[in-house]
Amino acid sequence: MTDKLDALLKNHLAAGADDPGSAQRVLTALAAPLPRQRGAWRRLPGALLDWQFAPAWPRVAVLAACAGIGFVVGLGSMDYFDGTPSPFASAAASDVTALFEPEPVTGARP
Amino acid sequence: MQEQSDEALMARVAAGDEAAFRILARRHVPRAIALARRVLRNSAEAEDVAQDAMLRVWTNAPRWRPIASFRTWLTRIVVNLCIDRQRRVSWLGIEAAGDVADPAPDAAARRETSDTARLIDEAIAELPVRQRTAIVLTYREGMSNAQTAEVLESSVAAVETLLVRAKQTLRAKLGPLFDKS
Repeated sequence: MTDKLDALLKNHLAAGADDPGSAQRVLTALAAPLPRQRGAWRRLPGALLDWQFAPAWPRVAVLAACAGIGFVVGLGSMDYFDGTPSPFASAAASDVTALFEPEPVTGARP
Repeated sequence: MQEQSDEALMARVAAGDEAAFRILARRHVPRAIALARRVLRNSAEAEDVAQDAMLRVWTNAPRWRPIASFRTWLTRIVVNLCIDRQRRVSWLGIEAAGDVADPAPDAAARRETSDTARLIDEAIAELPVRQRTAIVLTYREGMSNAQTAEVLESSVAAVETLLVRAKQTLRAKLGPLFDKS
């Protein structure tokens, strides 16, 4: 009798017809924008491991060229520092003088 | 093009790939609805459970580890949601449970016009929810006792007990069917 019951249950439960309409409704509902995943930060280490840090040679060439140009421009600008006072420095000095001028009426100094 | 395994798709879903999630959903939603319908005996609730289960798959995907198969994991989610709903409905009372029934005749309802099928369905429906779930997982999903135990988060011995008790009850209720045959 147990075998009969097993066979009966197996046939009955396996015969349950799937309703394609139900599945379609659920799939349509799932097509809406999905919520945010929990623990998404956990994939960060993997993303960092997958990151290609090795620079490509054209980028290295561009970097070297920029460095070279910067060096040459730097060398060419060296004559600005030949001992003549900077216009900024003289402006600052005159400001200081004006600030500490004696008071015209009383002659008092701050 | 070779079809990707569920586990490979889950790895993509864990990385936030929505296309992979849609493929998984198309593959597993019909089975999830059928399982939930068998446990809950309600098409509308079964659809809700399947949708909720798939959304849980999406939101928890980054934490998923391929220890068990995806199918077992999804089945466990569906079964847990079904048991939760069943307990909530039984707490609310039979009147509240009756209100949420889908009155539309669906494929399952049409099939149950057969008296024999109806008798078997009623006998299964009257089983306690864990016994009913064990019967459905074993006879519909074709799961072994070990797999059923994994889904029910229980021991194999406990599943065997559930099945024995369920079959005793069914045998007592379906006795006339056997007499007929």
